[in-house]
Amino acid sequence: MPAEMTPDTIYITYINTTPEKVWEALTSAAFTTQYFFGMRIESDWRPGSPWVLYAPNGKRTVHGTVIDADRPRRLKVIWAVDGLAEPLPDCDVTYDIEPMGVVVKLTMTEHHPAPLDPKWLEGGRQGWPKILSGLKTLLETGKPLPMPKAPG
Amino acid sequence: MAMSRFVYVTYIRATPEKLWRALIEPEFTRQYWVGTIQESEWKKGASWKMIAPDGRLTDSGEIIEIEPYKRLVFSWRNEFQPAVKAEGYSRCTYDLEETHGVVKLTVTHEMDIEDAQLIVGVSSGWPYILATLKSLLETGKAFEGSDKFPEGI
Repeated sequence: MPAEMTPDTIYITYINTTPEKVWEALTSAAFTTQYFFGMRIESDWRPGSPWVLYAPNGKRTVHGTVIDADRPRRLKVIWAVDGLAEPLPDCDVTYDIEPMGVVVKLTMTEHHPAPLDPKWLEGGRQGWPKILSGLKTLLETGKPLPMPKAPG
Repeated sequence: MAMSRFVYVTYIRATPEKLWRALIEPEFTRQYWVGTIQESEWKKGASWKMIAPDGRLTDSGEIIEIEPYKRLVFSWRNEFQPAVKAEGYSRCTYDLEETHGVVKLTVTHEMDIEDAQLIVGVSSGWPYILATLKSLLETGKAFEGSDKFPEGI
C-alpha cells in the first residue's frame, strides 16, 4: 500500500443493551466522563450544531460539527483535534448502531476524505479500542473499566 | 509482513490467567464461541483442532509458540469450506498484557496470500466472538445464542 493511501479505521463491537442506551452513552457527559478518558461531551446533537469534548481540566480537546444525527441509529460528526502543533487533516467519525438479535452492533468509522500520512491514524488505532471497550463495560456492568484518564 | 491481515484489540476486566483459560478451555469456549471446543496439548508443535457441537472438525493447525497467560501463536486452516481450505494455513496470535486489573488482548490473524477469504471470514467473526467473551468474563454471561453453532454451516 503506498504511504499516502490509508483506509478508514473501523472498530466493531457488540453490546448487550439497547440502541437507545448506546446513543445516550455516546452523546451524554454523564456517560462519556466514565469511559472517554474522563472527558465531558457537549452538544444539542442537531445537524449543523457544534459539539465538543472537554478534558477533565476543562480544556477543549476535540470539537466539530454534527453532520448527521438519526437517534438511535446513526451519528456522524466532523472530528477536529485541538492543541496539536500541526492540525489533524480532515476527519469525520460515524457511529452506526444496529440491533442484532438480542444485542446491539456498534460500528465506529474514522474516515479521512483525503490521503494522509499514516502517522495520523495511530492515535485512533490506539484510542478507539480503549474507549469502546470501556463503553461496553459501562453499559453492561454499570461500572467503568479501570483505564488511564489520558489516551496513549 | 503478511498480505492479508486482521488485527483487533479489546480490553477485558479479568486476570490474564482467566482470559487465557477462557480462550482455550472447552468449559468456557462452549458458552461463547458458538458452541465449539478446541483440542490441543497446548505445547509447541502439538496439533490444534476446533470442533463443532456436532463433532465436525471446523479448523485445524499446530501450536507454533506458547507462553501461557501471555502469548499464543498457532497455524489455522479452515476444514469445512473447500475453497477456503485450499488457501492453506493462516497464522493466529493472541497477545495478553495486564494493566490496572484490565487485560489488553490483541488478536492478529494473518495470511501470506493476497485477499485471503479466510481472513475476510474471520474479520467478521472475531469482533462478535471477542465481544461475547468479554461479556462472559465481566458479567458471568455470554450473549444469548452465542453457545449455538450457526445453522446451515
